[in-house]
Amino acid sequence: MTAVAPDLDVTAREALAELLLSVADDEFIIGFWDSEWTGIAPMLEEDVATSSIAQDEIGHARALYELLAELTGQDADLIAYGREPDAFRHAALLNHARGDWAFSVARRYLYETADAVRLGSLARSAHEPLALLAGKMRREETYHLMHAEAWLRRLAGGAPDRLADAIATLWPDAQEVFAPLAAESTLVRTGLLPEPMASLHATWQARVRPELLPIAGELPAAAPTRDGRAGRTDEFRWLHAEFTSVFASEEGATW
Amino acid sequence: MSVERAEGVWEVFRQEDEGDPMVHAGNVNAPDEELATHYAREFYGRRGESHRLWIVARDAITELDDPDLLKPPFDRSHKKPGGYIIKHKLDAAKRRAVEAAE
Repeated sequence: MTAVAPDLDVTAREALAELLLSVADDEFIIGFWDSEWTGIAPMLEEDVATSSIAQDEIGHARALYELLAELTGQDADLIAYGREPDAFRHAALLNHARGDWAFSVARRYLYETADAVRLGSLARSAHEPLALLAGKMRREETYHLMHAEAWLRRLAGGAPDRLADAIATLWPDAQEVFAPLAAESTLVRTGLLPEPMASLHATWQARVRPELLPIAGELPAAAPTRDGRAGRTDEFRWLHAEFTSVFASEEGATW
Repeated sequence: MSVERAEGVWEVFRQEDEGDPMVHAGNVNAPDEELATHYAREFYGRRGESHRLWIVARDAITELDDPDLLKPPFDRSHKKPGGYIIKHKLDAAKRRAVEAAE
């Protein structure tokens, strides 16, 4: 495939592929975890809202996998459903099972705020299809974030201990949304990623720390690590078996 | 943890396009105005079918359904405009205007 992004050399294309896969996997996996609430959310209206948001995330993942597939000449479905668990590149935040409602709300808040910072930067990417897609995703993610914040405030009043525990548990792994990418220097040099992950991470912390202070107290110093997108848990392996079960039931089928 | 029941009912009105009338779409249960807004959007707006929504707490609606007031027992036909054909009046007025101009 040479039709897509002909201005990029091989090194830049590989770097862009790594970036696209990391964002796509984040969206894909949070979408699947939250879809686990379908049918059992606290009330009917919330059931519909959570399921719809989960579908939005999987929709974003699909658009990103398609961008990646165009770039590398692969098949988007095969990228999504044809990989082994260890080939996934989502952040450690998304390795955890959905837990209870407070746990899911805490994760959604941490993820949505981080995603908002990341999308703000990607909307200025030198790769125009990614910039356009990030701009479109932001319009939906703004609403997702409002929804997560509404629940965060609500649980802070109604179940403060459970919420604080969930935030404390997830806090170290939440940093990993900004884990450094292997080819990050190339991404930043070419403007594919307008800012380094470390600076996006600082922006995110400056935003969430004051909001979380009254809920979870002073959270410990924490930073992304080099392995923040590697290493898969048994909980994720279980989810992977679930979401690939239909695809794997009839390999090569045209659905 | 005390469980607070989500008892609030919110009536939702939707407008399909700018300038269209607001039409009652249905209602949602929600514990507060913020979540009511989210749920109204999910139920009555997520497929791009609405230009605008009004979300109104059912408690805030003043209802009038008293038949004594709405369906009075006496003959009120004199309050209805039937039998009074405006077109004839208009034609006559036009004729007078033309005559006056001549």
